[in-house]
Parts: sequence; structure tokens; C-alpha cells
Amino acid sequence: MTSSVLIFGLVNSAILMLTALGFSLIFGLSGVANLAHGAIYLSSGYVAWIFLNSLGLPYFLAVPLTIVAAGLLGAAIYWLVIMRVRGLGLSEVIATFAVGVAILEFFRWMGFVTYEFNLPVLIKGSLDISGVSVDYQRLVIVGVGILMAALLWLFAHHTKIGLALRGMAQDEYTALSLGIDSDWAAALSMALGSAIAALAAVVTLPLGIISINLGYEVLIMALAVTVLGGLESITGLVVGALLLGFARTVTGTYFDPKWMEVVYLIALVLVLAVKPSGLFGKYKELEERV
Amino acid sequence: MKKKSLALIMTLLLLLMPLALAGCGGQSSDKGAQNGPKPIVIGVPTSLGSIEGADSLRAVELAVEEINAKGGVPVGGEKRPLKVVSIDDRGSEPGVPVHDALAALEKMITEEKPDAILVGTFRSEVLLSAMDLIAKYKIPYIGSIAMTPEFEKKLAGDPEKYKYNFRMGLNAVYLVQYLGKTMEFMGKEFGFKKAYIVNQDVLWAEGTAKGLTKWFEANGWEVVGRDSYPTGASDFSASLTKAKNGKAQIIVPIFDMPQSGILLKQARSMQVPALMVGFISPAAPGSGWKTFEGAVDGLVNFQFEIGPMPVKSVPKSVEFNQNYGKKYGEEMRLKLSGHGPGPAYDSVYVLANAIERAGSLNADAVVKALETTDMEGVIGKIKFNDKHQVIYGVNPQETAIGSAFQWKAPGVRVPVFPEVAAEAKTELPAYMK
Amino acid sequence: MRIQAGFRKERIDRGIKARTDDIFAIASCREILYLVGPRFLLIAALLIFPLLKSITGIYWQNVLMITATIALLALSWDLLHSVGLVSLGQALFFGAGAYATGYLNSKFGWSPVLAIPAATLLGALFSTALLYPVLRLRGIYFGLITFAVPMLLMRIIEATKILGGTEGISGLTPLPGITITLYIIIAVTLVCVYGYQRLFETDYGLVFKAIRDNDRSVIAAGFNIQLFKAQAVFLAALPATFAGAFLTHHYQFVGLPAFAMDYSVLPMASVIIGGPGSFIGAMLGAFIVVPLSEFLRTFGTLRIVIYSLVLLVFVVGLPQGLFHYLKRKYDQFERLVPIEEVEK
Repeated sequence: MTSSVLIFGLVNSAILMLTALGFSLIFGLSGVANLAHGAIYLSSGYVAWIFLNSLGLPYFLAVPLTIVAAGLLGAAIYWLVIMRVRGLGLSEVIATFAVGVAILEFFRWMGFVTYEFNLPVLIKGSLDISGVSVDYQRLVIVGVGILMAALLWLFAHHTKIGLALRGMAQDEYTALSLGIDSDWAAALSMALGSAIAALAAVVTLPLGIISINLGYEVLIMALAVTVLGGLESITGLVVGALLLGFARTVTGTYFDPKWMEVVYLIALVLVLAVKPSGLFGKYKELEERV
Repeated sequence: MKKKSLALIMTLLLLLMPLALAGCGGQSSDKGAQNGPKPIVIGVPTSLGSIEGADSLRAVELAVEEINAKGGVPVGGEKRPLKVVSIDDRGSEPGVPVHDALAALEKMITEEKPDAILVGTFRSEVLLSAMDLIAKYKIPYIGSIAMTPEFEKKLAGDPEKYKYNFRMGLNAVYLVQYLGKTMEFMGKEFGFKKAYIVNQDVLWAEGTAKGLTKWFEANGWEVVGRDSYPTGASDFSASLTKAKNGKAQIIVPIFDMPQSGILLKQARSMQVPALMVGFISPAAPGSGWKTFEGAVDGLVNFQFEIGPMPVKSVPKSVEFNQNYGKKYGEEMRLKLSGHGPGPAYDSVYVLANAIERAGSLNADAVVKALETTDMEGVIGKIKFNDKHQVIYGVNPQETAIGSAFQWKAPGVRVPVFPEVAAEAKTELPAYMK
Repeated sequence: MRIQAGFRKERIDRGIKARTDDIFAIASCREILYLVGPRFLLIAALLIFPLLKSITGIYWQNVLMITATIALLALSWDLLHSVGLVSLGQALFFGAGAYATGYLNSKFGWSPVLAIPAATLLGALFSTALLYPVLRLRGIYFGLITFAVPMLLMRIIEATKILGGTEGISGLTPLPGITITLYIIIAVTLVCVYGYQRLFETDYGLVFKAIRDNDRSVIAAGFNIQLFKAQAVFLAALPATFAGAFLTHHYQFVGLPAFAMDYSVLPMASVIIGGPGSFIGAMLGAFIVVPLSEFLRTFGTLRIVIYSLVLLVFVVGLPQGLFHYLKRKYDQFERLVPIEEVEK
């Protein structure tokens, strides 16, 4: 029992973190709450499926292509939509939400509602860890999750582009005066975030099958993890994902699975009420409350 | 300047919208004004964005085409063709309020003036509130998707008011009976006595799970546990671990959400040595083996009503499958969902038959005729009980039947229940031996 | 292009606007019409529509009903926004009103005449009490919490099976005929629009505006802004809970979909399209958003795609909102003024 809680809690945390990573990155770097995140995640899944099944591409070609396509989609959404309402917080929210819904419902209209959409796992089979069988795909997810978190941390703290993007997030005017192009930086972060969402889709979707409504659920999960951990720090994101992942698994195992969704919403509300910038968010007392 | 032109294009687009709409509206009304006898209008308001809804609509269209090919339905000395109008009520999508689905239904009723409504709403809570709407407009309504037993309760509460409502599809009570009988069989055959129920937290699945728990307790089984998962849950390790540790021999999944595919795959990857007997919607279609890469092996899945899969003892179901495959292609046939298409197809014939016997399209006369329906269909023998629910049982000569099939290597669905329909015995998959 | 580069656009108030704006002596019928005309048109259109049952068909009467519901929710959103509170969860108010009336009606058999007003008050009190602890939050943080709360309530009802659980409560007392029903909700909407507008012209409303513009200086002026915000939430909740209670009786059913996300998204979209801050704009937005969605039903499953794209076009192409755009055209005219070039 305990070992399975530990293992699946970790796996669930990794899934949560991966799905939230793209959203959190965009918010952290450009301040845009990208509500089309779920749609980008899901459409990457369908695109990968089309590459693999309709076009018959090999796995190791289809996956990078999907990730690149998602990155381009993200950048396109920025240039075509977000840039025109940049700075109008609410318009941004409505516009990205509308884009997301349009994409998701487009797939529904195309007939992607039947039950045959399934992405292949990277490695088949499962492994026995102290009496609990875990499939390799779940281990791959944990691995990819750790790798991505580490890479992004390095990117944000130790590369010029990363520093430029963070500078933009911290103080847009100062960054502009130092010669960082705001639109370029935001478009780049959108592309990056979308590519990460695609990566998350490719590794997590093989656990089940792809279905439209998942797009809406992923968005809410991403929002919860991001808010819990803090809106811009990667450490916070990891901790937030771990908390939620374990909270859900523990609730499911020791209480009743029907409380699983309640637990994370309660956590969300409590954190927002007590420490709005998240458990690891930078202290911004004056901005978040009076 | 750039902004200005953008705004201009957008205004243009907006201006064009109503025009396009007017065009669309005009077209559909033109169609109605055909030569010859006035068609009988059948309304299909359902969630067309869901697999059950889309399949049911196709099944209805198939039946209508067949009837029209034979000249139509005789009403008062004249043969009138059938015509299908459909509307999407988005009932299967999250975040859609009940009023949106009801608005679709009401739009169809008031604008298309259908003589009868088939298939009907997707979600149970919409069905319950739609009953009042149907009572208000007095149109025969034969539903085949939503399956809450509250339907009969509500109908029994005011039979005169709600008499226009009928249901062809299986309800949760019958599903419990079927599951119970299957369990009894499993108990006898393999000596199983321990079960674990995992269900989705929605109206019909909750009802089924509760009923089944009672059945298990009454019949000397041990229910190791019962968990209900909210719609959209994506990790089932908690229940699977408990089932494994509790040495459950049977896991009963009751789900109609796509994520239930995760349950199936996770059970295999966690190597839970229990037979799955229940309903997992993504595993019902013929393409399931390929989708789940063999993880469905051994799963005993219900077809709520027969139809999506040919059952030899009901010749009509074989015929239906052939015709469906001919009209929509073999690939579409293999994707038929496990709930909906059979009764949807039959409901057209039942309606045509009732109209013929009533000799008119008068709603009350048609309802009277529907109540005395007694005919052979894809789902078996069709008769309504006093609460306007088609009676389900185990003998297709006497009642309509649902069936269970088992997935076996190399990817075939073999009917195993009920006995009259069974083509092979239930076998334990390799991981249970 | 060079010629145009030498001009700039100038907006000037129309004469009639200047005359009717501040001077309270009305000189001519034209001026009266200028002031009263648009309002009169709006009210007249709303009052006449329910009578056109034979032309529009019952279905469009129902659409008007839902439109008015969303308009009420949008008004509520706009009021909160005018106090600086961004709500992403209008469904909370809607659901609170809906469940309150459902409970009162089914449990105690209260007639809608009693249950709806009671539910409006109870729902508003409940929502205010629920949000009171987080009223200190600002901006997106308050928005996120309102986004999460309706979902939380929904999951709690689902998990604990209180108030009918997933089944909901059905068979509630219906409202009388559609025409009367429509007049009631239209009257409430109009009272709400003009009531809110009037409220914001009083000194009391001035405090609300000040809180939005600079909350800290309001504190410095010695006001308890917590209390003011709570009052604003209560005032804003009233039309929304009323809408919930009213629609519940109209459809005789309350269940988990009362917290549906549509009730949060549509009002917000209405205000953004109509133009925030004016209340009329919120209503105007609702009268675009809801009928549009019904028009698009012809497109079947493609409907929502087109719908979101149209919303997108509005939001991107007309960011200040339709009302402000129309008002500007009504009050001002534009002309090109040559830019004086500096001689070298």
C-alpha cells in the first residue's frame, strides 16, 4: 500500500508537473495567462496521431515534428491574437480562451470523438518496484519531468535568452530600455511553452486514449498546479505538483477516490486565500492584496 | 492604419455572417417543400459531438432510408416518407448548462414541428427535465441514450402527463440484472466470490454500482471495495492497488468516459490478477483491441443493447450490421459504440409501426399504439412495460436483450452472455491462470 | 501616403452633446430626443418583444429568457469589475441562487413567489459570506479564487450527495406563462441596469469607483474598504442569484450544471464585447452573445468553433467594447486636421 502510494504519487506529480510546465513558463516569462494551453496540449496529441497513423511516419520523426508544430502554433497564436490585446488582461484571457475552445471544438467537429486515438508508448512492459508493478511509460514520464524541470531551470538562469525573458517578466520597461524586444520575447516564450505542452502530450497521452474533454481538464489542472506553487518559479511548480499529486493519490487510497478532485480544489482555494502568490512565489504583498 | 483595416475586415466578416446564416436557413426549409405526400418529420436532438449520439443518428438515418426505399409509412390510405431533422444539444460536453440542451430541444420542436422525437437527450439530468418539455408539447418521444431509472419513477408519478415519453435503451436497473446474472455465471464457472466495483460518479453509473453492491451482498459475494471516480479522473492506481491487495477476482468497471481507457491499461501494467467484467465505453467498439494494443484481452464488456455487434440468434442484428457496413463502410461499423445504435435503429421501425396502426399522426393515438408495440427488432423482442420502458431479459424471443462479449486474442469480440446469444464460453485470460 | 501623413484625426463632441450635457435647460424636442431616444428605444424593444410570440415563435421567447439571464449575470460582473474585483466565477452566484430556491421549493414547498426572492437574498448572503475572507485579494488572485470556488462547490455536492448529489432536484414548481415570466425578468434587468447606473452617480458609488482606481488612498481617507467591497459583492450577487433562482423554476430543475462554466464565461464575454463600466454595455453584450450562439445552431457541431472565432474577432477588433464605440460615434464626430509642419 505505502510503496504504491509513494510510486504512483510520484508518477502523478510528474504528470501534473509536465502538463503544467508549459502554462507556467508562459505566464512566468511573458505574463500571459494562456488559456489555450489545454487545446495546444490536446491538438499536439491529435497531430502526433495523424503523423503516426495517417502519414505513417516513424515515431522518432513524428514526435520532434509534433513538438516543432506546436511551437509554431504557439508563436502564431501570439502574433495573430495576443499581441493585439497585449496588456488588456481580460481581453487576453477571453481571447486565449476563445482560441482554445475553437481549436478543441474544431477537432470535435472533425469527428475526433471516437475511441481509436491512441499514442504508442516509448517502451513497452513494466517493472517491479518493491512489489508494485509500474510500466516503463510512467517511469519515462518521471524521467522526462525531472529532465525538463532541470533544463528549464538552467535555461532561465544561465542562458542569455533565459535571462532576457526573466528580465522582461520582472520589469518590462527596464527590459525594453536595455534593448530586449518585448514582442519577440513573449512570442518566444509562447513557442517554448507550447512546445513543452506538446512534449507533455506525447509522453502522458499514451497512458490512456485521447479525447476532446481532456483539453479542458488539463487546463484546469495546469492552473491549479501553477497557482499552488507560485506563478513564476520552477521550484514552486515542482513542489506544487508534488503536493497535488500526492494529495490526490493519498486521498484516493486512504479515503475515497471521489474526494480526489475536491482535495486539489480545496488546496487551491486555501493557498489563494492565505498566500496568493503561491507557496514559493516571490513575496508581492502590495500587488496581491490590500 | 493597420488596425483600421483589420477592424474593417472583421466588420465585413460579421456582416457576412447573418447572410450565410440566412442562406443556410433557407436551404433547409426549401427541402421540406418537396413534391408528393408530406413527409413525417422525425427529430433527433442529441449530443452529436459524442460517439453514442453520432452513431445513433446514423442508425436512425439508415432505418429511415430503408423504410423510404419501400415507399414510406402508410398513414390513412397514403404512403408518406420519413424525414430526419437533427440538432446538436452538446449534452456530452462539460460546462454545458442544462438549459442549453433544452433550448436545442425546444428549438427543434417549435421550428421543425417534428411528429416524433427519437434518440433524445444524452445526459440523464437533461432527460428528466426534458420530460416536462415533452409533456408540454405532447410529442411522442422514444429515447435511447440516457439511462437513469428516475425516468420510470417520474413517469409513474404522473402517467397521464408524461405518457409521451418512452425509452428503448437499457436502463440502469436492467444493467444491474444483467451484471448480476453474469456474476452468478462467473461464480459457478470459476468459483469467484470477491469483487471490486469501480464506477464513474454520474447518475446512471452510481445507480448501477449501488444496485450491484446490493446484489453481491444478497448473493454471498464479498465486495472488497467500491470506489466512484469523478468524471475526468486519470489515475486509478488507488483502486487497483486495493483490488490487488484485497485479492479481488473480479473488477467491475462502470464507465462511459474516455479516460476509463486508462483504467484498462493501468490494470494490465500493474498486473492485477482479476477479470474485468463491466462496461468501459472505449473498449466496446470493434477497434478496441488495436487501440489498446491488446490490453483489453480477457475483458468482458457489455453491449447495453445488442446491435453494434452481430448476434447470430437475433437475425435482425446480423442484417443491421451488414446494412450499416454497406452504407457507412466497414470501418465505421467497427467503431459502433456499445450503447445507442441498436435501439435508435429499432425506434424508427417501432414508430413507423405505431403510426401505421394508429392510422394517424395524432400524438395520443400514436402513444396508444406505441404502448401495445410487439415486434421483432435488432435488440430482440420489443415490448414496452407500463412505465414505457422496453422490457429487457435474456431470451430474444420474449424480450429485448443486452449482451456481453469477451475480448480474446487475436482481437475478436466473442459473445458470451446471455446463453442464447453466447457463441463461446468465458475464458480466463493468460494473466489469471 | 504622404498627404495622409500630414493629417491627424481629431474627435470633437457634437454640438448637441455639448448642449445637453451640462446645461439642464432643455431647448428643443431634438435635444430631448437625443437624450431620451436611445434609452427609450432599448426599453421599448424589450417590452414589445414578448408580445410578438406569434411572429418570433416560442423558441425565441425562450432565447430572450436566457439572454436576460446572462445579461443579469453580466451586470453583476460589471458591478464587481467597477469595484476592481475581477470575477471568473459568476457561476457561483448563479448556482447559489438556483440551489437555494430548489431547496426551499422542494423541501418546504414554498411557492416561487416566496422562494425566488428568498433564494435571491439567501444566495447573495451565502456568496458574500463565502467570498468575505478573500476580499482583500486583488486582481488576478481574486479572479482565480472565484474560478475555483464554483468547481469546488460542484465537486463537494457530487461527493457528499447533499442537495440531490449528481441527480439534482427535479419537478420544481413551474412559473406561469412565458409572457409574464419574460416581463418579470426584463423588468428586473432594466431596474438593475438603471439602478446600478444611478448608484454609481451617488457619493456611495463614488467610493466604489475610488476603490477600483486606488484602493490605498481610499484606506488613507479613512474608509473601511473591506466593508465596502463586501457590500459591492452583495449588491452584485443579487441579480445573479435572482437569475439562477428564476431560470431554475423556469426549467423546473436544479443540479450540478447550475455551476457550469458557461455561466462564468458568457457573462464575462458579454461585458468584454459590450464594453465594461457602463452597465448598458454589459446588457448589450449579452444581447449579442446569446442570440448569436442560437443563430449558429444551424451549423451543428461546428457551432462552437464559429462562435469562439466571432468572440475572438470582437475582442481583438474592438477591444474597448461595442458600447463605448457606439457612444463615441453618437456623441462625437471625427475630422482630419492638418498637422502643422515646422519650417526648417
